[in-house]
Amino acid sequence: MTTEQIASAADSSEEHIITIHNLNKWYGDFHVLKDVNLKVKKGERIVVCGPSGSGKSTMIRCINHLEEFQRGTMFVNGIEMIDDVKNIEAIRKNVGMVFQHFNLFPHLTILENLTIGPIWVQKKPKDEAEAIAMKYLERVKIANQALKYPGQLSGGQQQRVAVARSLCMSPEIMLFDEPTSALDPEMVKEVLDVMVELAEEGMTMLCVTHEMGFAKKVADRVIFMDGGEIVEENTPNEFFDNPQTDRLQLFLSQVLQH
Amino acid sequence: MTDTTSRFGKPARIFQPSAAQPAPIKSTGAYAWLRQNLFSSALNTIVTIAIVAFLATIIPPMFNWLFLDSNLSGSTQADCTGDGACWVFIKVWLQPLLYGSYPDGQIWRINLCLLLLFVTLAAPFWLPHRMRNKVDIAMLLVLPFVAIVILDGRLLGLEYVSTDYWGGFALNLFLASASIILGMPLGFLWALGRRSQMPMARSICVILIEFFRGTPVLALFFMGSVMLPLFFPEGTTVDKLLRVWIVLTLFMAGYMAEVYRGGFQAIPQGQYEAAASIGLSFWQTTLLVILPQVIKVSMPNILATAVMLFKNTTFLMIIGVFEVLSTAQNALTNSNWLGGFSTEAYLFVGIVYWICCFSMSSVASYIERKLDTSHRS
Repeated sequence: MTTEQIASAADSSEEHIITIHNLNKWYGDFHVLKDVNLKVKKGERIVVCGPSGSGKSTMIRCINHLEEFQRGTMFVNGIEMIDDVKNIEAIRKNVGMVFQHFNLFPHLTILENLTIGPIWVQKKPKDEAEAIAMKYLERVKIANQALKYPGQLSGGQQQRVAVARSLCMSPEIMLFDEPTSALDPEMVKEVLDVMVELAEEGMTMLCVTHEMGFAKKVADRVIFMDGGEIVEENTPNEFFDNPQTDRLQLFLSQVLQH
Repeated sequence: MTDTTSRFGKPARIFQPSAAQPAPIKSTGAYAWLRQNLFSSALNTIVTIAIVAFLATIIPPMFNWLFLDSNLSGSTQADCTGDGACWVFIKVWLQPLLYGSYPDGQIWRINLCLLLLFVTLAAPFWLPHRMRNKVDIAMLLVLPFVAIVILDGRLLGLEYVSTDYWGGFALNLFLASASIILGMPLGFLWALGRRSQMPMARSICVILIEFFRGTPVLALFFMGSVMLPLFFPEGTTVDKLLRVWIVLTLFMAGYMAEVYRGGFQAIPQGQYEAAASIGLSFWQTTLLVILPQVIKVSMPNILATAVMLFKNTTFLMIIGVFEVLSTAQNALTNSNWLGGFSTEAYLFVGIVYWICCFSMSSVASYIERKLDTSHRS
C-alpha cells in the first residue's frame, strides 16, 4: 500500500465507519462476492436484501470476520481488517451481531449470557456487568426473565436477549443477519420494535432482512444484492417506488405480491 | 371485559377453554398397567407366567443360602457348620479386602482420604453458588496428590507406609479416582489437539489417542511394568503404583478424548460464531462456552468410560498389585481357609463393585439433570 492510499484510507475512515473496497470471496471455486464496494457513515441504517444465495449474509459476516475474504480491503472503525488476531479482536469489540438462530448460550442464564462478554472481554467487575445487563434487559422488556435459561423463552424473547447481549458490549456498529427469519409470525413485531428503537437512537446498523416494512420505516439506504454483487442501492422511497434494474423489479414483484 | 369491542366494531366473543375430562377407567391404574405390560397378548401372557415360575423356583433356595442357612458368628472355618454361605470368611478377611496390608493403627488415614473424596464430590451441594465450579475443580485436581501425601505419610511426619502395603478395595478406589480425575482434563486437551489446525499438535494427539484406545489395558499394564523402566536412566526405580497410575491416566485420557470428540460434534457452529461476535478469545470460548456444553452432551459416555476404568482396575491383579481381587484370591488359598469359599469371596467383591458403580451412575444422572437447561421436558 502506498502512503497516498494509506492517507486516503485514513481520510475515508474518519468520515465512514465502514469502508469496503473491491471485496472478493470464494468458497473453493465458487465466487460468492464479486467486487463489492460499500461505504457506511456513522449512524447510518442500511438494509440489505436479495434472493437467497446472493451473498448478503456472507458480506455482513465479513465485517466481523466470521468469514474470511480473499481479495479487497476493508476498514471498520478505522481499523484495517487483516488476518491478525489483534486487529480482528479490536474490530469485534466495536461490532455487535445478531444471528438468525439467536445463538444464545444454552447452559447460561439470560443474565450470564449478557455478562459473559463484559466480564471476560472488557474485564468489568461482575456487579457492574450485571448492572449493565439489567439496563439492557429492561430496554428489551424482559428484565423479569433474567434468571431463566434460553430454552425457557420464546423465540422472540430469545432474539431480544441476543440483541441485548450485543448491546452490553457497547458496540459502534450492529449487524443483523436475518434476525426475524426463524421467528413465528406473531413474534416478529416485538423484535422489529426493538430494532426500530435502536435505529432511532442513532446506532449504525446493517440489517440483512426480508422485512420490507422495516426497510421502508427506518433505512437510510436499501441495498439489493444478487449473484454476489451489489446491483442497486437507493433511498427506501426510490428503491421501492422506482427500481432501476429489471432484476430488482422482478425481486420486488415477488416479495411484495402478498 | 364483557363490553369489549373488537376493532371490527362488533362486541368480541370471550373465549373460554372447556374443562378437562377424566381419562376412561380402563386406561389408568394397576389393572390397566397389568393388562398393557404383562398380559397384552397370548405370547406375552405365556412369557409372564414362565418368568414367574422360574423366579419361584430360584429365589427361595438363593434366599436360604444367602440368609437363613448362612453362618455369621465365630472366627474360624470350623464355625461354618450350616449349609448356607459362610460369611465368617468375609468377616475375618474384611480388613485385608478393604484396606490391603496397610498397618492396623494407620487405617484412619485411608478413611480420611475416602472422606475427602466424598466431601469433594459433595462440594457442589455445600459450597456457595458463586464459587462452586472453580473451587470444586481445584479441589478435585489436587485431591490425588493430597491423598498420596496422607497415605505415604513422610511429608506429614506420620509413620511411613510404603506403597507395597497399599492394597484392597481402597487401592482400586484410589487408582480409579486418581486416574479419572487427571485423565478427564488431559483427554480434553487431546481432543482439542485433534481438532487443532496445527498439523504437529494434531498428529501427536491422534497418535496418542489411537495408541491408548487401540491397545488392551492389560497390554498397557505389562508395558508399564516391564517396558517403561527400560526408558528410565539406570539405577532409578519408579514406584510400581506410580507407573500403573500413569498408564491408567493415559488410558482414560485416550477414551475421554474420543468421548469429547462426539460432544464437540454436537455443538452447533453458531455457538462459536456468537462467542466470536462478542469478542471472546479462543480459550475463553473453549472453556466458558464449549466445554460446559460438551460435558453436558457427553455425560452418559463419560460415566460409561469412568465405570469401565474403575472395573479395569481389577486387571491389576495380573501384574501383582494387591487390589481387592488378588487379596480375595490370596485369602482363598490361605491354609486356614481351604474349603471353597470362592462364591462368598467373589460375591462380596461383586457387590462392593456394584454399590460403587451404581452410586457413580446415580451421581452422574443427578449431574445430568442438573446440567440440562434445555427445558424441553
